[in-house]
Amino acid sequence: MKVALYPGLLLLVLILTGCASQPETNPLVERQELKVDPEVMYVLTVTEIFEERLAQPGGDSLLQIQFAVQAHTDTPLAWQVTWFDASGMRIKGVGDGYRRQSLLTGQTRYFKATAPHSRVTSYQLHLREPQ
Amino acid sequence: MFRHALVFSTCVFVLGGCATQTRYVDPAADDGPVAMTMDYRDFETAATAAVEDMLASGSVSNPNGGRYIMVVSRITNDTMQRIDTDQLTKKIRVSLLRSGKVVTTTAVGLNGAEDEMSMRARELRDSAEFDQSGVQKIGTLQAPDLSLSGKILQRNHKVGKEQQVEYYIQLSLTDLASGLAFWEGETPIIKRGSNASVSW
Repeated sequence: MKVALYPGLLLLVLILTGCASQPETNPLVERQELKVDPEVMYVLTVTEIFEERLAQPGGDSLLQIQFAVQAHTDTPLAWQVTWFDASGMRIKGVGDGYRRQSLLTGQTRYFKATAPHSRVTSYQLHLREPQ
Repeated sequence: MFRHALVFSTCVFVLGGCATQTRYVDPAADDGPVAMTMDYRDFETAATAAVEDMLASGSVSNPNGGRYIMVVSRITNDTMQRIDTDQLTKKIRVSLLRSGKVVTTTAVGLNGAEDEMSMRARELRDSAEFDQSGVQKIGTLQAPDLSLSGKILQRNHKVGKEQQVEYYIQLSLTDLASGLAFWEGETPIIKRGSNASVSW
């Protein structure tokens, strides 16, 4: 009797596990780490983009990115970093807006952004031309 | 009489059509014109710079684990504008709280507690009207470890036919145990525009 019960129990566990809602982790379109609008592509080049995890005194670490842009002409630039956790869920930063910068012809500028939480594992950097 | 009414209503419709429509502004996609005064984008810029720098420096990460307790001290408004400095400190507080590293106490402040209810709730102690099991016990309030203070400065200059307004947002994070500033930051916000613009 007991021997017959075990496979039944196992089957029930497997069915219930299959029914449990799993977190959706597969995006419909692969997210790009770097998104540069066409208008900006003509006036500057993203020469480098680095990321590292900054060790914190409490034992955790924070993702920090640094990117460099070289301007071919005097141009305004707006950039924004959106942060994501391991499941691909967005982690809110301090502000929602784009950061505005001005670049001079031939100038290479380096910009840094630090993740707002240690849960952040990935990011998307968007460069655009402010209106 | 009828003609007057017709002219009047035509004028109302024409003027109404010329008026700028009120619309919502999405802070995440705002490419609107820049004001000479400090607007929400300037506070966001300063708060972002401060929080990211604090986090990156590790000064708000408690080496013993757990969260630091921060109190907001005086943020002096040395500008020609009437600024509620909470616009800046609230963003910093919210972001630090979300980071899981710092929690702000509202039970103590330079001009009294931000939320007086922490003390008022304790006045219920020994009141026969209240179930004492739910009344806060002695010695449960947490003292702050860090203090956030700062200053917002404004300087106006004439540059040719334009004016230049400089704002400096200076912040310090003091370790209350040692009195030492563990973190300091300054965000300059420089605007240049028409002389006709008002910066106060």
